[in-house]
Amino acid sequence: METVKVAFTVNNEETVLQVSPNETLLETLRERLDLTGAKESCGIGSCGACTVEVNGLPLRSCIVLTSEMQGADITTVEGLNREGKLHPLQQTFMEEGAVQCGFCTSGMIMTAKTLLDKNNQPTQKEIIKTISSNVCRCTGYKKIVKAVGEASKKTA
Amino acid sequence: MILPGFEYRKATSVADAIALYNDFEGKARYLAGGTDLMPLLKYRLAAPAAIIDLKGIEELKAIAAIDGWLTIGANVTLFELKNHPVVKEYFPLLYQSLDATSCETLQMRATIGGNLLQDTRCIEYNKSLEWRAARGFCLKMGGKCCNVVPHSRVCLSNYCSDNALSLVALSAEADLAEAGGEKTAGLEKIYTGSGSKPFVVEPGTLLTRIRIPLEKSKGVYEKLRVRNSIDYPLAAVAVAMKKSVARVCVGGVGPAPLVYELAGTDEGTLRDAANSASTDARAVPNAILSPAYRKKMVGVLFRRAVQKVLREGA
Repeated sequence: METVKVAFTVNNEETVLQVSPNETLLETLRERLDLTGAKESCGIGSCGACTVEVNGLPLRSCIVLTSEMQGADITTVEGLNREGKLHPLQQTFMEEGAVQCGFCTSGMIMTAKTLLDKNNQPTQKEIIKTISSNVCRCTGYKKIVKAVGEASKKTA
Repeated sequence: MILPGFEYRKATSVADAIALYNDFEGKARYLAGGTDLMPLLKYRLAAPAAIIDLKGIEELKAIAAIDGWLTIGANVTLFELKNHPVVKEYFPLLYQSLDATSCETLQMRATIGGNLLQDTRCIEYNKSLEWRAARGFCLKMGGKCCNVVPHSRVCLSNYCSDNALSLVALSAEADLAEAGGEKTAGLEKIYTGSGSKPFVVEPGTLLTRIRIPLEKSKGVYEKLRVRNSIDYPLAAVAVAMKKSVARVCVGGVGPAPLVYELAGTDEGTLRDAANSASTDARAVPNAILSPAYRKKMVGVLFRRAVQKVLREGA
């Protein structure tokens, strides 16, 4: 296999890598860049645990090739805190107890972040619609929806 | 899950993509959003020598309303299309099916071209290599018999595109580019009716554009699914109504959508049409709901969708 050279930005850091063409973005983030916030759960794009933000949109990194990421601007859950201060979503997820086993949490937060960036006053319905992209097998959705609502008050 | 090995190439134009396909002697797969292809690769249901990325082809990203048609580039994502003002104003049916497709995160990645040319699905097919090898390969994998219906000579895996049903109901056409040039076909003509090879298009053909006649219509999309998010249709009905003529498309059951034109909208005609759609639906135990239930629901959704169009006009 011919390797592919890709240049992109991860959490504001410019990164240039030589990757195998069959390497997923999730593998690159976790295994090369030690960004283990995004999780591999289903591995086929159904569950959303691997969600990261790419060019302002939520993206399932387990079904995307790193080769496709030329020029992309990527944010992972590790890139959310600013100068040691947590993102409002991270804060409210803790305050509302919106975490049970925690495996879906970074995906939930990244999906919710892309919603709040576009719409900082979402309705309950809009929050549920966005969050329904992600699966929580502990089924703690109520607290997750509440945490996103509370975070929207802080970001408004 | 680890992907199999392949080369990666990025196409810059339609001609470039077809040339790359031929360079790899047909042992290549086109990649758009990848939401259908990547899981197939991970499950070893496809093993191409090369992946040809189509996302760099700018001309396939446009939506234009010209000369009485809405022309949609195959690279347009489902989310972009859903939020296009012309879709909301002219084709409420298409808006509803786009909105009912999977979840918003995947709508932002998946393209309309990929959604239409997605592979058919079966509870015995979309499984890991180990699982399938233990079970024995079925017709769709090149085996000798169907694992769902023993002795069946034809694969009845389900075609699960939500938006194909709307587009067929709206009499959409597909532009297909081949090495020899471009041709146009009515969307309902691209299906073979066999799940082993669901599309008439030859390997290497590229779906470039979808065109819908630009006439205002009423419409309703009804979809049976268990989670209301992420899941594929287990049966679905799309109704488009123009000048009191209803065109109904049934899908999610079997390898090809079925299309019906309603002769009238009185209760008797509707009941007969719904019953015959239910009879036509070849539901077999290849999805998570029972065939009897899915078959019955085809008739229920058929009536419900048409009645909703008549009542609400939405």
